[in-house]
Amino acid sequence: MNRMWRQVRPYAYILPALLPLLVFVYYPLVQSVQISFLEWNMVSPNPKWVGLANYRDLLASDEFWLSVKNTGFYAVFFLVTLFAAPFLAAFGVTRVNSRWSAFYKSALFAPTVLSLAVASILFLWLLNPVIGVVNHLLSLAGLPGVNWLSDPFWSKWAVSMAASWKLFGYNFIVLLAGLLAIPQELSESARVQGLRSSWGLMGRIVIPLMSGTLIYVFVTAIVVGIQSVFVPVEMLTGGGPNQATTNLVFLVYQYGFQFFKSGLASATAIVTFLAFLLLIVVQALVMDRRAYYEN
Amino acid sequence: MKIKVSGWNLLLFICLLLSFFPLVWMISTTFKQADQIFSEFLNPLPRPFTWENISYVLNAVPMVRYFINSLIVAVLVTAFQLVTSILAAYSFTRFDFKGRQFLFYVVVASMLIPIQVTMLPNYLLISKLDWLNTYAGLVAPQLANGMGVFLLRQTFRTIPQSLYESAQVGGAAEWQILWRIAFPVVRPTVLALGVMFFINVWNEYFWPLLVINDKDMLTIPLALQLFINSEGGNSWGPMMAVGTLASLPPLIAFFIVNRQIVSSFISTGVKG
Repeated sequence: MNRMWRQVRPYAYILPALLPLLVFVYYPLVQSVQISFLEWNMVSPNPKWVGLANYRDLLASDEFWLSVKNTGFYAVFFLVTLFAAPFLAAFGVTRVNSRWSAFYKSALFAPTVLSLAVASILFLWLLNPVIGVVNHLLSLAGLPGVNWLSDPFWSKWAVSMAASWKLFGYNFIVLLAGLLAIPQELSESARVQGLRSSWGLMGRIVIPLMSGTLIYVFVTAIVVGIQSVFVPVEMLTGGGPNQATTNLVFLVYQYGFQFFKSGLASATAIVTFLAFLLLIVVQALVMDRRAYYEN
Repeated sequence: MKIKVSGWNLLLFICLLLSFFPLVWMISTTFKQADQIFSEFLNPLPRPFTWENISYVLNAVPMVRYFINSLIVAVLVTAFQLVTSILAAYSFTRFDFKGRQFLFYVVVASMLIPIQVTMLPNYLLISKLDWLNTYAGLVAPQLANGMGVFLLRQTFRTIPQSLYESAQVGGAAEWQILWRIAFPVVRPTVLALGVMFFINVWNEYFWPLLVINDKDMLTIPLALQLFINSEGGNSWGPMMAVGTLASLPPLIAFFIVNRQIVSSFISTGVKG
């Protein structure tokens, strides 16, 4: 009896974590693939098997390509605000007086603990055309005001800013961790050998030595950013004006829960998932090649 | 050199303004009267200080009920995720068994699957169980967390095997070894993880949006939507008050374990 328990015990300890993941993550993934081959409105008892028709319809639809284009916009935006900017800030923290750096660490991380819903209502207010602070500051600078949420061009900027504000701190801390893991002696010896400018240090020492973290944050910025911007889009613009702020994640939600086209929604979800997965696999391969796994 | 350093200071100061400005203004607007919100919106100081926005919010919607909803869900999910993560991470580091590496990958790879792919089938399952608009429906899909198992495994691995061996020689049962010997070592990570889980669940928007439409069962992030008037003419004071109330628990949690969170990110975050 005791012996048998010893055999089973490792699995018994894992089961409470494994079982929910199988039931609520892996099994639904398989089901999503199945549903993507159906024409179904989620309630009808007789879904119709249509093969790849959903994928064909999706690739032929204007909405899909508009979403792809917008998703590309978001990806570029988040690379600036959630990859380049937090990297510069993290690098800056390592260059300033250490008394200040402790303060910056907590202060820049703080908005990360707030919800995207709070970020959304905050930016709804900051970007309000009449009493919003942003337009007020623009007018002080002599610039014309912007109808942030109803302008087809600027609305994408508005929702991206809200998501960026919330997510900046996380990437900042992860990048700072990468920077602090670089052995101090290396930067010191570089300095002794005459590498004095910040930019030189960054290019020759910092970027090559933390490339693993950089790749990780590069991919996270895109994947997490595109998923997170769903909240300001859903709360503030509903995908509009005229589909201007929609993206792949929002499209899945619209197809599934507003138009009740379960098959099409699942096909969109699978396509989006594969695109994300491709990014993550490329990241893993690059990181693996650099042997950054501790094993 | 001096000029360059202050260049970085300037950059950080701008980041600080962008990060803090919205937060500070949300909190200060919460305590401003309506006419001051319109006339002096750049002034951070409420003059006179008023509780009227907060009391308006508490009367207009069942805010206390939403707080309790969010709290119940966040505490339940955090507790489940911590316990399941501790047990699994311990097993992965303590025992040697067939399929260990494979099962570890299965657990951790679950992090890569976005909610958009699983939400429709999960919604159907929850509705078939008749769990829409219930705590069970909110909690059930998130009983385990691959990230938690991953991060705790990293920490459990720092425990030397000799510590386990000496405990075994002393005749301790496995269960006691886990809670008396191993757990104290990983406690700081568990605390930081717990806060992280709590904050994430407290802030969650997507899944509750699908499962909850009963007004009494809303969680805090969904309740924020009640204050957005799509026709325009938002009442900003109450809206900022509701944002401040929604942000209090995560901000308090953050400031209590600030050091642990930041340092556990720094020690467990991806290196290299």
